[in-house]
Amino acid sequence: MVSVINTVDTSHEDMIHDAQMDYYGTRLATCSSDRSVKIFDVRNGGQILIADLRGHEGPVWQVAWAHPMYGNILASCSYDRKVIIWKEENGTWEKTHEHTGHDSSVNSVCWAPHDYGLILACGSSDGAISLLTYTGEGQWEVKKINNAHTIGCNAVSWAPAVVPGSLIDQPSGQKPNYIKKFASGGCDNLIKLWKEEEDGQWKEEQKLEAHSDWVRDVAWAPSIGLPTSTIASCSQDGRVFIWTCDDISSNTWSPKLLHKFNDVVWHVSWSITANILAVSGGDNKVTLWKESVDGQWVCISDVNKGQGSVSTSVTEGQQNEQ
Amino acid sequence: MKLKEVDRTAMQAWSPAQNHPIYLATGTSAQQLDATFSTNASLEIFELDLSDPSLDMKSCATFSSSHRYHNLIWGPYKMDSKGNVSGVLIAGGENGNIILYDPSKIIAGDKEVVIAQNDKHTGPVRALDVNIFQTNLVASGANESEIYIWDLNNFATPMTPGAKTQPPEDISCIAWNRQVQHILASASPSGRATVWDLRKNEPIIKVSDHSNRMHCSGLAWHPDVATQMVLASEDDRLPVVQMWDLRFASSPLRVLENHARGILAIAWSMADPELLLSCGKDAKILCSNPNTGEVLYELPTNTQWCFDIQWCPRNPAVLSAASFDGRISVYSIMGGSADGLRQKQVDKLSSSFGNLDPFGTGQPLPPLQIPQQTAQHSIVLPLKKPPKWIRRPVGASFSFGGKLVTFENVRMQSQQGAEQQQQPRPVFISQVVTEKEFLSRSDQLQQVVQSQGFVSYCQKKIDASQTEFEKNVWSFLKVNFEDDSRGKYLELLGYRKEDLGKKIALALNKVDEPDVCIKEGKQESEFLPPAGRTFNISVSGDIDGLITQALLTGNFESAVDLCLHDNRMADAIILAIAGGQELLARTQKKYFAKSQSKITRLITAVVMKNWKEIVESCDLKNWREALAAVLTYAKPDEFSALCDLLGTRLESEGDILLQTQACLCYICAGNVEKLVACWTKAQDGSSPLSLQDLIEKVVILRKAVQLTQAMDTNTVGVLLAEKMSQYANLLAAQGSIAAALAFLPENTNQPNIVQLRDRLCRAQGQPVPGQESSKIPYERQQLPKGRPGPMAGHTQMSRVPAQQYYPHGENPPPPGFIMHGNVNPNATTAQLPTSPGHLHTQVPPYPQPQRPQNGWNDPPALNRVPKKKKIPENFMPPVPITSPIMNPLGDPQSQMLQQQPSAPLPLSSQASFPQPHLPGGQTFHGIQQPLGQPGMPPSFSKPNIEGAPGAPIGNTIQHVQSLPTEKITKKPIPDEHLILKTTFEDLIQRCLSSATDPQTKRKLDDASKRLEFLYDKLREQTLSPTIINGLHNIARSIETRNYSEGLTIHTHIVSTSNFSETSAFMPVLKVVLTQANKLGV
Repeated sequence: MVSVINTVDTSHEDMIHDAQMDYYGTRLATCSSDRSVKIFDVRNGGQILIADLRGHEGPVWQVAWAHPMYGNILASCSYDRKVIIWKEENGTWEKTHEHTGHDSSVNSVCWAPHDYGLILACGSSDGAISLLTYTGEGQWEVKKINNAHTIGCNAVSWAPAVVPGSLIDQPSGQKPNYIKKFASGGCDNLIKLWKEEEDGQWKEEQKLEAHSDWVRDVAWAPSIGLPTSTIASCSQDGRVFIWTCDDISSNTWSPKLLHKFNDVVWHVSWSITANILAVSGGDNKVTLWKESVDGQWVCISDVNKGQGSVSTSVTEGQQNEQ
Repeated sequence: MKLKEVDRTAMQAWSPAQNHPIYLATGTSAQQLDATFSTNASLEIFELDLSDPSLDMKSCATFSSSHRYHNLIWGPYKMDSKGNVSGVLIAGGENGNIILYDPSKIIAGDKEVVIAQNDKHTGPVRALDVNIFQTNLVASGANESEIYIWDLNNFATPMTPGAKTQPPEDISCIAWNRQVQHILASASPSGRATVWDLRKNEPIIKVSDHSNRMHCSGLAWHPDVATQMVLASEDDRLPVVQMWDLRFASSPLRVLENHARGILAIAWSMADPELLLSCGKDAKILCSNPNTGEVLYELPTNTQWCFDIQWCPRNPAVLSAASFDGRISVYSIMGGSADGLRQKQVDKLSSSFGNLDPFGTGQPLPPLQIPQQTAQHSIVLPLKKPPKWIRRPVGASFSFGGKLVTFENVRMQSQQGAEQQQQPRPVFISQVVTEKEFLSRSDQLQQVVQSQGFVSYCQKKIDASQTEFEKNVWSFLKVNFEDDSRGKYLELLGYRKEDLGKKIALALNKVDEPDVCIKEGKQESEFLPPAGRTFNISVSGDIDGLITQALLTGNFESAVDLCLHDNRMADAIILAIAGGQELLARTQKKYFAKSQSKITRLITAVVMKNWKEIVESCDLKNWREALAAVLTYAKPDEFSALCDLLGTRLESEGDILLQTQACLCYICAGNVEKLVACWTKAQDGSSPLSLQDLIEKVVILRKAVQLTQAMDTNTVGVLLAEKMSQYANLLAAQGSIAAALAFLPENTNQPNIVQLRDRLCRAQGQPVPGQESSKIPYERQQLPKGRPGPMAGHTQMSRVPAQQYYPHGENPPPPGFIMHGNVNPNATTAQLPTSPGHLHTQVPPYPQPQRPQNGWNDPPALNRVPKKKKIPENFMPPVPITSPIMNPLGDPQSQMLQQQPSAPLPLSSQASFPQPHLPGGQTFHGIQQPLGQPGMPPSFSKPNIEGAPGAPIGNTIQHVQSLPTEKITKKPIPDEHLILKTTFEDLIQRCLSSATDPQTKRKLDDASKRLEFLYDKLREQTLSPTIINGLHNIARSIETRNYSEGLTIHTHIVSTSNFSETSAFMPVLKVVLTQANKLGV
């Protein structure tokens, strides 16, 4: 069952392009073609406008919340080629950093897992991906991957922080040996996986090729303790693929077609438990998908204006398995 | 930004949108010569490979053509969405010819690439367009007002859209309407445009501004608005693009005057109707919004004119322009750095000198064309207005707590900005619930925990079980909440008291049937002398004599040896008993060494109390039996360890069936952690319902352990914590934040759990009291100094103790059965020695917080309603249910309270059993408890010795030690039934006095003892009247010495009564009657 529990009237004056809740699900950030970013307190079904952030000079495409261990921090990216990092200090939101290193629209921002520190990946229509790392005292170090995707990078998504080995026998107090990775998708129809080398340089590790048109979004699934890595990708070609890699050392990824839609698919988003994928298509359609016991992806819900029923066939299948 | 370039003087055509990869076809342009003056012509196909960063386009095929082209288009004819057929290339030639090429054949390198050719036109064919609705329809225009409609399915005979316009003129442009499929427009350099309706087969409107300066070089329909089109003028005096709306066709709707000189070509983006490309003799390529006239973008070009410009149908940001300097360039309108391009050119220039770094300076050569270079340094900005295709209209993102945030932008009907602004733009926050069953089961579980209705819950689960195993597990769990758990476990394992009694009785009857041989002249040396008879002490030289002599001299050891030697096992044992504990033990050992029956090892284990041996070395197929033995005999302090051990063995077995059975052992042991491990191994735990399956069991088992062992089970093992947090995560993902909090293990400082707890608390919208900064389980990283390495957050987090954020000092003492050392000092002492299920494996690896805690599986409501379950002042923790039979009839609660006063106090019922007055003193202490609970601390013994549960070999031992029970003073037998006792006892005495065979005597002794069961029942008056009547009848037949009649009555009673009621004494009675009959007493 998908039921609206809160309808937030954003009062944006133009198209909304992104809406993201913070880590706790108590605050909502929205951004719009009206060049503004807004933050609402949505606790207990309310909607209190906390901040109306002005600073971008073009449509704002995406917003991303940093992990709360770093404070209340929001990043936004815009057609104006800028990335702005906003921060709440003493109850007021202010711009804390502006990144102007891109030559074209910045289409996607994504914070790295908090374990790595405060790192932001930004994908731009200039084909580059930049990585901003907070180095203290208000300083941000920039690394740039040029020509990551010819004529444009549309999406970036970090791999969850997983130490090789299981969660359980994580040695405490020892420095975890994280391997930083993220995925990007672009106008060259490719999904690329990037890995930080030991010298701190980012290197293209893998090209995933299955889409026949722009890759609109990529979403690396949260880790739920299983050895399998999963990435969802969606494209202008209407296809949504689920990429899985069972053995991270071999790094072999195999795609599975989730569905071919009749329209552009703009956005894919994993549930926190990584078992449901929300797919947002052109024609304003949002659908929820779940992997059935036999490994097929099944549409369990059509969401219209936040409302939808959930077909239980998948769940029943699991019951029968018992 | 320039992406690619090809040095060709050619017309260009992009492959249709369906085609992947993207191709660009070029056909040598007519009426243009380059410096070679070559008149050779070719048709080429290039692939647009954007993953290749170089400026070169990959050439796929070249076909030498005999024609040069005025126009080239690539139609999606017969193309399917998969792009298996690559459509058709349609070329307009110089001499009125239209040629159809098969691009796939060109790519394949075939010689025959022409599909069809027709030269019906007069003059050069400059105008071509494919109908986007019926891709088999192609319109063409040439000189003399000639317009033909070609059906590619029937190419030979073209149609006309109507009568030729007069006066005859050249057709420079032709275009199908983008909304209405039968509408076609044509335009000529004269400036007139004509709109044709193919259904009417005539021109329906003519568009002209009457200025005579419009020399139409371009014509395009609005992609979305059926009645709008643009016309471009080549005339330098009027270098404009006119936008017309046919609804008021008297004058242009808008005029775009952005070019300084005549416009050579236009292209309207199909992906965004606000993007119109135009290129002119002012050497500019502009992208304007035809709806506003605003120039959105000027492409950085060289100084050459472009005569053809095309949007790439598939990649909306890409366009190609053909310039008179013999070059086709591919651009992106999304801007971007020209660095790559510059680098290319520098490379080219430098490499023309043969060396990138001729001076070894480590720097590439400086660019030669300095002015041009600076121009290219500049960053190419993207379109002023974002193109439609990058404006995401819809989005749905998950957030914590199973919430889905969605927004959609309803398609705008009109282009008026004012209306857009008034549109409400809501964002929906929805709760996604996908696991209804999971949630309802979780709810039930919580309610059960709250209401403590464990037994009925387990019963429900048993009833609903679909597999035998599931049923077993639930049955085992249920037993935990019942009295006599061990006995019930035994029943579950298939050892039902009644059934067993029945079987044993049957077996005994069978043995008793054959005649008993009676040997005269031999007498056993007995310490219990038969009443009133002298006996002869033989001291002859045979074994009997030697034994007698040994006995007379008090040399028990030798006597025992003699007996053993003579295979008189029973004698040996009896003597050994008299000889003291040591001797007995030795004798037992010798006996076991000698005896080789199948059950010897079991007997050995039972007598030696070596359960470990059984558990360790039994055949795992007999795990049930082993478990039964442990349940029956194991001491409380070793019980759980033994169950564990058996479980571990089962688990390590390859057999999956056995592996799952290990769960049962762990349930008996109360070992939650191992149950989790075993269950997880056997079941796929990733789906919510299977996790629910596990959690239900774990929660119930933990509750059981709490209840029965009064243990603080708050300590959570690593694996369980992992599972519980998984479970909490799942609950949270379904929106059940409160439930998730309730199930989350509390006293753990595993970082992921602490974090989840914090997240859940805050997600509930309840600000945690106290300082903001101290509540987050992460150290706030206000300004991380230096490099925030991976260490930064992580380790700090794990060091933060949990209670810092959840001040439990405010919490009331925990309700329920969780006892703490300080509640009642006696409680600790009482429970210490007798906690059989103490989970050694759960000793926490870290120091326990010294604060009262609520169980993670206690409902959260209890936190706020602390007095819901008051602890009585004299409350003592329930004593562990270690005995299989506490008191089947008694109220468990009162019994528990009865047993409260500390362990050493013997129970009154126990006191009524005097210690056997055996010479060996306490020799038998170890096995003197009623069967079924040897080794039990005396205080937990049961008052009732009926039905030793499931001790298959127990009887022989029992007989030995139970002889003196006659002396017990009990409730009197009702007078009317006293006759039964006297009659039966008298008969036995008579039989004994006349029987000479020791075996018979033993049998009679046994019978005499076993009839106590009958007498007990008489005292309790629990026998049914029919049985009582029958017994009286038997007594009467004994009076008259009519034993066969007695036997008949006996048979009648047995066959008509409830077996369980009579099984304890009826078979014995039969033995006595049979003997009496035989002996003729």
